[in-house]
Amino acid sequence: MTLRDLVVVRLGVAVNLVIGQVAAALLLPVYLDTIGTVLVAALVGWRAAIVAGLTSQVLNAVLSGNFTWLPFGLVQVVIALYAALAARLGAFRRLATAVPAGLLLGAVAASTSAPISYFLFGGVTAGGVTAVTTVLRALGAPLAVAVAAASYTTDLLDKTLVFALVAVVLRSLPRQMAARFPMLAR
Amino acid sequence: MSALLRFDGCGYRYPGAAAPALADLTLAVGGGEVVAVAGPVGAGTSTLLLVAGGYAPRLLGGTLEGTRVSEARRPAIVFATPWTQVTGLFQSVRGEVAFGPASFALPRERVLALTAEALERLGATHLAGRDPAGLSGGELQRVIVAGALAMEPDLLLLDDPAAELDPAGADALYGLLPRLAERGVAVLVATPDLVRAARVATRAVALREGRVVGDGPPARVLG
Amino acid sequence: MIGYAPGRSVVHRAHPYTPLVIASGLLLVAFAVRSPLAVWTVVAAALLFAAVAGVLGPVLRPAALLALPTWALLTVLHGLLGGPPHVAVGPLAFSVQGGERALVFGGRLAAILLAFLTALATVSPARLVEAMTVRGVRFGRIYLLVSTLTVVPRLRDRARRIIDAQQCRGLRLGGSPLARVRALGPLVVPLILSALAEVDEQALALDVRGASVDGARTPLETPEDHAADRAVRWGVLVLVVAAYAAKFLGRAP
Repeated sequence: MTLRDLVVVRLGVAVNLVIGQVAAALLLPVYLDTIGTVLVAALVGWRAAIVAGLTSQVLNAVLSGNFTWLPFGLVQVVIALYAALAARLGAFRRLATAVPAGLLLGAVAASTSAPISYFLFGGVTAGGVTAVTTVLRALGAPLAVAVAAASYTTDLLDKTLVFALVAVVLRSLPRQMAARFPMLAR
Repeated sequence: MSALLRFDGCGYRYPGAAAPALADLTLAVGGGEVVAVAGPVGAGTSTLLLVAGGYAPRLLGGTLEGTRVSEARRPAIVFATPWTQVTGLFQSVRGEVAFGPASFALPRERVLALTAEALERLGATHLAGRDPAGLSGGELQRVIVAGALAMEPDLLLLDDPAAELDPAGADALYGLLPRLAERGVAVLVATPDLVRAARVATRAVALREGRVVGDGPPARVLG
Repeated sequence: MIGYAPGRSVVHRAHPYTPLVIASGLLLVAFAVRSPLAVWTVVAAALLFAAVAGVLGPVLRPAALLALPTWALLTVLHGLLGGPPHVAVGPLAFSVQGGERALVFGGRLAAILLAFLTALATVSPARLVEAMTVRGVRFGRIYLLVSTLTVVPRLRDRARRIIDAQQCRGLRLGGSPLARVRALGPLVVPLILSALAEVDEQALALDVRGASVDGARTPLETPEDHAADRAVRWGVLVLVVAAYAAKFLGRAP
């Protein structure tokens, strides 16, 4: 990784940590806290994206004090790899391809985080998801199903929005700035 | 005075750019000179500094034509906005300034001595224990310049270095440049502040659209 | 209070790696054991850790704030909605097995929070940077972990300013869900683009100061690594290995 790549990774991590306040200002039930990871995957590559994802996980825990997020680092790795592949395949060139790719990532991410949540934490992750889990459970669904369903609904929306936003950002890059990222040329 | 830096028919184009940022540049700069680089926005003054220090194309990509020969072994560049230049790794100004010399793997005492000396020359000794995050723009810019000086550069490039400084701070900073030149440092300063530049510069280079349109005594070139 | 709180306790003066190893050890052991009693023993150990570090008060409050909502949900999810056998607690039927699970998961949560908040309160970032530098941790890693935290407040400010500016231009923050989703673009895209525009200058500024992703640097204030520090760290490692060995042999408490 060059120094420049390092700075881009740092940017990705910072964006991951800050973007939540934008979503909160809009009262949207999503975190968007992987948008930096996906961006780094498209701009630099999968290795840098993994570093960005894991670092974000650690720093998120440090900033919020909620260290129970640490085991979910695996999800960040999965997201990083998927996003890098999607970028390679040109998914970010058009919204029409970015949106379905994001939807699929939502399913993949939920499939990764739900078992972690279930086995390590008894189905409890963060406030929003757990509330949905509780409601579903109260309705009679088995715990595992409730956890999975809750993960899926939030993740599908969250990751779709992340991919759509990254596609828009990449399209909006001024030509001279885009030229500085060789990964985009592919 | 031998040339530390020499351009011969040099041109530079940023990656993806339609037109070259610098063209047909023929220029020589030696240690002990303070060269003011002036020109309207887009004239290529910042680009000249980046190419002079060898940062373009090495770090920025793009293509270089013609020849650039540099015997400077320790170039340093300072930009206008302090916030993008601070490393963010240290909670003390002393640590921030020591970062540069520490990367040369010099002995600890030497690093601390260079740090203290640089802070003193910028009149920033009283800031040594402060957290960079709590400083004003002007104070932080002085820390940044100190950080560059602590590395004892032989080629010092400054891009509008006093933009964040108050008049007294700007005077002090520009006043520092001739003293550095006395030690043999080659100084290039790109700035819209022609008044202060003219006071301290030994020479001025005017650029327009990437080409040199004037090179000589400040009074003549800067008008 | 979340974050570094200067102090003179034994934990503060220890080598920066030591509190981090202790906290990690507590986390790992919390996941190795299975009974409520064992898990809450780990919680007690975490409380002891915080007390020895002299940060029990400052750490309890954020830990409680973070844990209580989750505990409430755990109680509902496992306690009230768990399987038989049930026990009557007032008007409610409380699942015994579910209650035990809630205690285990809740305890793990508490142990992790207490342990890491304590580590956070006792490890000074400057000393950690020095410790990592001396150990030969590559500059890139140190930079990412430490420097990002400095950049975050600036980015937050910028985000706030973009929100304000776009509102002045007529962007509404409320409205239908679709309208709110549409508002994401004008807020997120400028934030990211403006940050990307600074990348070159930031990379240059690092390069100028001789930073390279791998290079060796002169450490300035090397934190001392006493024998006691090393002993504690090894002790934690042994404890973690023993806990997991017991777990895999089916004999974890």
